[in-house]
Amino acid sequence: MSIELKKQVIDILKILQEKDIEIEASKLADELNVDYIVLMSAINDLIDNNLGGFREEEMYQVSLSQEGLTYLEKGLPERQILQILLKNEIKEINLDDLRAEAKLDENLFYVGISNLKKNKWVTQSKATGENKIFLIAEEFPETQLEKFLKKFESNEIVDYSILSKEELMQFDVLNKRKLMNKVRKTQRIIYLTKKGKSIPISEIQELKQVSKITSEMLSSGTWKKYNLKPFDVTKPGPLLKAGKIHPLVNLINEIREIFLSMGFIEIRGPIIESAFYNFDALFQPQDHPARELQDTFYLNNPKVAKLPEKDRVLAVKKTHENGGDSGSIGWGYEWDENIAKKTVLRPHTTATTMRRLAQFYRNNEKVPVKVFCVDRVFRNEKLDKSHLAEFTQVEGIVIDDNVTLCDLIGLLSEFYRKMGFKKIVTRPGFFPYTEPSMEVSVYYDKLDEWLEMGGSGIFRPEVTYPWGIKEPTRVLAWGQGLERIAMLYYDRTDIRDFYINPIKWLREQSYLK
Amino acid sequence: MPTIELKIERLERLVGKKLDLKELEYDLQWIGLDLEDTNVEEQKVKVEYNPNRPDYSSPEGIARALKGYYELELGIPSYEVRPGEITLNVDPSVKKVRPYIVCGVIRDIDLDEDEVATLMNIQEHLHWAVGRDRRKVAIGVHDLDKIIPPYRYTAVKPDSVSFIPLHGDGYPMNLEEILLLHDKGIEYAHILEGKDVYPIIFDNNDEVLSFPPIINGVLTTVTNDTENLFLDLTGTDFKAVNLALNILSTTLSDMGTKIESVKVNYQGGKEIITPNLNPKKWEVKKGYINDIIGLELSLTEMLKCFQKIRMDAKKSKKNGYLDIWVPAYRGDIMHPVDFTEECAIGYGYFNLPLTIREGGVGAYHPIQDFSSKIRKIMIGAGYLEILNFILTSSEKQYDFMKQNYDKTNIVEIANPVSKEYNTTRKKLLPQLMDTLLLNRSEEKPIRIFEVGDIILLDPDEETGTKREVHLSAASYHEEADFTEIRSTLDFIMISLGYENDFEIKPNKNLSYIDGRYGEIYLKGSKVGEIGEIHPEVLLNFKLEFPVAAFELNLQDFL
Repeated sequence: MSIELKKQVIDILKILQEKDIEIEASKLADELNVDYIVLMSAINDLIDNNLGGFREEEMYQVSLSQEGLTYLEKGLPERQILQILLKNEIKEINLDDLRAEAKLDENLFYVGISNLKKNKWVTQSKATGENKIFLIAEEFPETQLEKFLKKFESNEIVDYSILSKEELMQFDVLNKRKLMNKVRKTQRIIYLTKKGKSIPISEIQELKQVSKITSEMLSSGTWKKYNLKPFDVTKPGPLLKAGKIHPLVNLINEIREIFLSMGFIEIRGPIIESAFYNFDALFQPQDHPARELQDTFYLNNPKVAKLPEKDRVLAVKKTHENGGDSGSIGWGYEWDENIAKKTVLRPHTTATTMRRLAQFYRNNEKVPVKVFCVDRVFRNEKLDKSHLAEFTQVEGIVIDDNVTLCDLIGLLSEFYRKMGFKKIVTRPGFFPYTEPSMEVSVYYDKLDEWLEMGGSGIFRPEVTYPWGIKEPTRVLAWGQGLERIAMLYYDRTDIRDFYINPIKWLREQSYLK
Repeated sequence: MPTIELKIERLERLVGKKLDLKELEYDLQWIGLDLEDTNVEEQKVKVEYNPNRPDYSSPEGIARALKGYYELELGIPSYEVRPGEITLNVDPSVKKVRPYIVCGVIRDIDLDEDEVATLMNIQEHLHWAVGRDRRKVAIGVHDLDKIIPPYRYTAVKPDSVSFIPLHGDGYPMNLEEILLLHDKGIEYAHILEGKDVYPIIFDNNDEVLSFPPIINGVLTTVTNDTENLFLDLTGTDFKAVNLALNILSTTLSDMGTKIESVKVNYQGGKEIITPNLNPKKWEVKKGYINDIIGLELSLTEMLKCFQKIRMDAKKSKKNGYLDIWVPAYRGDIMHPVDFTEECAIGYGYFNLPLTIREGGVGAYHPIQDFSSKIRKIMIGAGYLEILNFILTSSEKQYDFMKQNYDKTNIVEIANPVSKEYNTTRKKLLPQLMDTLLLNRSEEKPIRIFEVGDIILLDPDEETGTKREVHLSAASYHEEADFTEIRSTLDFIMISLGYENDFEIKPNKNLSYIDGRYGEIYLKGSKVGEIGEIHPEVLLNFKLEFPVAAFELNLQDFL
């Protein structure tokens, strides 16, 4: 069977036969003026036909370092100093003066001086004092070191193995002076097999195979004459560096869609919030541990926030102190307006919910109001694999007449069913601003486990009454953090991944889990 | 959340029922307890209780609830308080330092090892959950037979009284010395900070029982031979000191001891007798409870629910109302609504049906909606979305970007977790640069964008700040330049239909290269900046290739 090769491959084979030596691939590519990849693909064709091959060899390449390159231009420090002496016709000089003139860094200056002495161009006699040198030579021929340095004027990179014994000594000197770089390289040596050396070119058929259809081929109709080179269709292509939505945003958007489909309107509120909307309006007593520095971020700037209308502030104050008109006995302490004015990075989106209740009051709105929020919150936590100081909270709220705990269970099961969890369970729980309260867990079939999702409940009358939301109008609420679910969803073991952007992961992460 | 350890064998003894670990794990959740950990080998469980139920801080307290759940005992547990003769006189001088005290006497104690451990543990829990780390309530437990009544609660000058404190070196110390030198004094001195007199309890011979809320005297140390206890609870909240006393004394009573009352004599003839374990009566509308839960329980059914959670309930004389009695160890009932949860727990959350109420038309927030559109355009332009914290460091945000800033003019967190998170971001770009730093060895080109919140100081706003949504994009590779990023910006503007409404005005900015920077104007007002990043900024972020980037305020597009 005759051998078929592409024209380019035949040309390369011809040259290799003429040369009749082994040759390094990149050198050959340079000589032939072809791309290295094109050459290697041609060599692969030769390999396929048992005509040639290559082997890999390790080699060292040496080149000048950044500092070395500057000496190529300006001369070594010793030459630079000498030039000063010669230019000014100085035979003897105080070292300090010379140094001032030379404008060299202290270290380099002394390297230069020591080499001047080594070259026997100058001397420094103890008798005349340490600080003086004398020019003693008449001629200053190029040193071995300088000759070696010049080698790099034409060739930036030199093969270490071809250095002579003498040159190796120069190399060591320069290398010690950190003027050289030495790097290990793998090179490919191309050779022909016996068959490749002996095969007459005339016996080889030119293969009319192309890898790409060109516009010219199509318009001229010559495409018919060519074979299209087959691709290995089983191999994956290189990773596409394309645009993509962040996995967490993807999940956030899925949840926002669920809320939308359930008839909820999205709300947004301040991230830097007053303690008033964060805690006081939620009936958290002012000595509550959750308000302390180890749990909540407070701000030095801005230090205080403005409080809302006086009568509402008074209503909240009364509720804390004696229950106000809510029917509660209250906490029984003296409420301090200044504590409520403090600014915090909101630890929950419920602060925004409170603002929505206030808006409901101010606008004298009608029920039902169904709103949701998926937004950032902050807790004073040290960051580690499973803790964040800033994360995303999901919250859903219904303001309506005669809504019940059983309605809330209905909402929760619908919400989590849409998230893909078929079974939910609610248990007694405790949150300072809801009563009754429920903890929610869902069954995750992939792990055959119950997962704690978050909290839920009906807002306490102490929370809603100051905003005119009174029996039989009630507020149902539920909420949860998002990142823990995202970890399961995307199979991550480190919660910080969602905010430190490992680009490889972002490029490769699938959305459907 | 606080946790306590329960030995199954001890719990079985208290409940009076054989308990299976698996069943117990299941059952505890329905009375508001969370099983943290099960130790099958040692037959122990660790349970978490909610801070509103400090009565769950002992096995005795949990057993009370379980007995109701299993219907072994229903209704309010009864506790006998024998009237005692011991009196404690309260001097008005305590008003300005630690105004309240209540006391109790516990007789015939014969505690085993576990019970002694419980007594220690419950004090710790009460100090935390009710006492706010002793500030609101501090507990003293004394050997009654070492002291001679009547006792006296008063306030004295710090250096006027000395006594030998518990856990000290065995030498008398005055109150000031205790705060400076004694371990407990150092730990709790802050509670008495700024006071010129300190609270103290003497017996009739002027021997010191206690220096609340710091330390007891060595005189009344409880030992194995102690037969009777005197309890003092001091604090700043009258309800809280009573609650802690009630929880402590009912738990001790469950251990088989006898409770005896103490006359606490506040000046002006106001004498109270404590502990007062009488249940508190509430009148609650039956319909209200059913309405909130969403059930239609009959009177009998509802009464049973309350009995199961260890309350007593009865049809009230008032039509449609219930009289409900709450045990004295419960401090979490503030409002009739609290009975709805109690009733639901009695009924069993697992029995609650779900109802579906549909309706309403949903909508996204306009800025979020717009952000989603922007994301789609950026994805189309080939940019990868990233997310960063709003928290950041002023170093990254300003110094690394060569931006000058005035410390008084940026958001400053008072208690940051670390220097890396001492402020909130004003621009997104610095964190994009940081993302490039962390990913600089990844395959290039790297083109990233973020749509996210930034925070600006604004004294006109209620919170002194406002949040705005920005878009920032950066391209990082050998060939990245102004032309490329300008094309990207143009693509956005065209996709939004603003191609004729915006212009770039050349300007200078320290973060960018001179001559390759401009400010973006939309309909005449500045909405952003675009350019090639300055080499010094690139080096600050340890980058090896050029970066071209822009940042846009999306708020201005709405």
